[in-house]
Amino acid sequence: MRVLLIEDDPLIGDGLKVGLEKSGFTVDWFANGADGEEALFQAPYAAVILDLGLPEVDGLSILQHWRGQGRVEPVLILTARGDVDERIKGLNLGADDYLPKPFALGEVQARLNALIRRNNGVSAAVISYKNIIFNPQTRKTLLDGQEAALSPKETALLELLLLNKNRVLSKETIESKIYSWDDEVASNAVEVHVHHLRRKLGKNIIKTINKIGYILEDA
Amino acid sequence: MKKLSLRSRLIIFFTLIACAVWAAAGVFSWLETKEKTDEFFDTYQMALARQLAATDWNGVTKEHQKKTDRLIDKIRNADDDDEAIGFAVFDADGRMVFHDDENGKDFSFQNRSGSFVNQIVDDEEWRVVWLKSADGKFLIAVGQELEYREDMAWDMLEEFCAPWGAGLLILLLATILIISRELAPLNKLAEDIKNRRSGDLSPLPADNIPSEILPLISAMNQLLAQIENMLERERSFIADSAHELRTPLTALKIQLEVAQMSADDEKTRNQALQKLQLGIERSSRLVEQLLALSKVESSLSAPQINQEEIDWRQTVIAMIDEYRHEAAGKNIAVSYKIEGCGPIRNGNPVLCSLVVRNLLDNAIKYSPEGAAIDIRIQDEALVVTNSGVTVESRHLDKLGQRFYRPAGQNEKGSGLGLSIVRCIAEYYQCRLRFANTDTGFEVLMQSNDL
Repeated sequence: MRVLLIEDDPLIGDGLKVGLEKSGFTVDWFANGADGEEALFQAPYAAVILDLGLPEVDGLSILQHWRGQGRVEPVLILTARGDVDERIKGLNLGADDYLPKPFALGEVQARLNALIRRNNGVSAAVISYKNIIFNPQTRKTLLDGQEAALSPKETALLELLLLNKNRVLSKETIESKIYSWDDEVASNAVEVHVHHLRRKLGKNIIKTINKIGYILEDA
Repeated sequence: MKKLSLRSRLIIFFTLIACAVWAAAGVFSWLETKEKTDEFFDTYQMALARQLAATDWNGVTKEHQKKTDRLIDKIRNADDDDEAIGFAVFDADGRMVFHDDENGKDFSFQNRSGSFVNQIVDDEEWRVVWLKSADGKFLIAVGQELEYREDMAWDMLEEFCAPWGAGLLILLLATILIISRELAPLNKLAEDIKNRRSGDLSPLPADNIPSEILPLISAMNQLLAQIENMLERERSFIADSAHELRTPLTALKIQLEVAQMSADDEKTRNQALQKLQLGIERSSRLVEQLLALSKVESSLSAPQINQEEIDWRQTVIAMIDEYRHEAAGKNIAVSYKIEGCGPIRNGNPVLCSLVVRNLLDNAIKYSPEGAAIDIRIQDEALVVTNSGVTVESRHLDKLGQRFYRPAGQNEKGSGLGLSIVRCIAEYYQCRLRFANTDTGFEVLMQSNDL
């Protein structure tokens, strides 16, 4: 899942980016509020992590601008002040969840998963499809109860398809959703991942719609 | 006396003074009355003696005495008032010829004339006047008991002093009442202060307070306001510090987690550990600066801080020497010029070197490689300039605010260095000005006196 991270602190930003990418997210990190604000309009993000304590642009005003522009991406705000008012203000301005500093990486990850799940109309903690059970938190995929050995990008692709069941996803959409600006993407990367997933989970699991894209269909 | 209330003291002093004045007046009146009664009775005795002296005592016999005695008895029954006057007549040989049948018969003979003598009669002290009769053959003695005179004087004094005593009593009661009433607002004030909760620093009410006490109240209110101000600063300092510590703590936590989850990825793990170390350094520096700022603030609010003449040359040289390695590391040349006596003439040397240290530290930290830093000590001013870097004008005003760091800083600054300088500058009534110059950035600390 591609996530937008706006955090000015270099150590926290770097840690979140590396840590979240380790657990299967694709992260675009902006230390500058203005750039981050603009970035949301440039790529499809599954969720946003927004630090409110940005030095130049106030995090809350970025949020307000997004919501005013009709952006509905789930936003997780990070606040350093234990101030209840600020949290209430953030939630009222359209934030979906908040985390007060100091927080743990695992917590960010869990909240992001919950936000993305909810945003895709899924409320169960695990996503089931046919004989596959996927757990977004542990990033583990079970095939007939056995753990399938998937790479992080394969997992991300599977998650994306599971969350968009019965919807056709184009190659470009998939690319933009599982790769960040920093990633170098080979032109056949998506095809390769689909191929691997089919090999590992079963030939018929992902259907190719010619010239349009890929779909996970209910049987 | 030291623990008595003002009210009790006023009442005690006033009572003592009133009683002393009353007693002094009493003693004076007593002496006066006594003198006057003495004079009066002396005159009276002398007049009687003169009358008796004019009488012809030749041929006075026992018969006469008896006759007179009876007569006197009659008079005595008619009038009980005993003036304790007695008289006797002696012949030249000291034999008593005649007496008044009372105290007079106990008079002992004294051979003198025309003078008053105090003598013992019947165990009592009497005042007796001796006078020769007109023909010179007899001595007349007219005496009065001294105790009678004293009683008389005492009676008069009593008559005189009683209304004064009553007046004194009324005066004292009125005084106690007035003092109690006038001091009631003070008592109420004391009670109010006593019953205050420790956190209540609202000003004391000044209504109904006598104008003499008002300066005290306003001074106390000023003090309360100062304390409140200080507490507010302290509170916001603690809140800001806690807030500032949260960010590096979060960074540490996250980098640690990244390192933990990268057991199989040595590169990522090493990077995370490196960042962890960076984060720890940043946190320690922040804590150090916080401690320094809190020390500066508390030492500035201490009633007395060590003040001496500041040797700016020595201070600047010492600091440049201390930062020699940092400067050399970035190939920065640090120069200085001493052209005057500096912004603070008499001050605390530790605080003044903190000013130079923080300004130099900032200049080196935020200057690019190969920049030049110049420290100038002028009359009433200290100027630190560094080349090669400017600060956006919208940040200039906010520099020196606690924890303020312009965006895009990769340096591990705490945002406290300039607040420490500002804090010290304010204490020594100096202005702190930040400005961009043609070649770089300049910090000016200037004495307000100028």
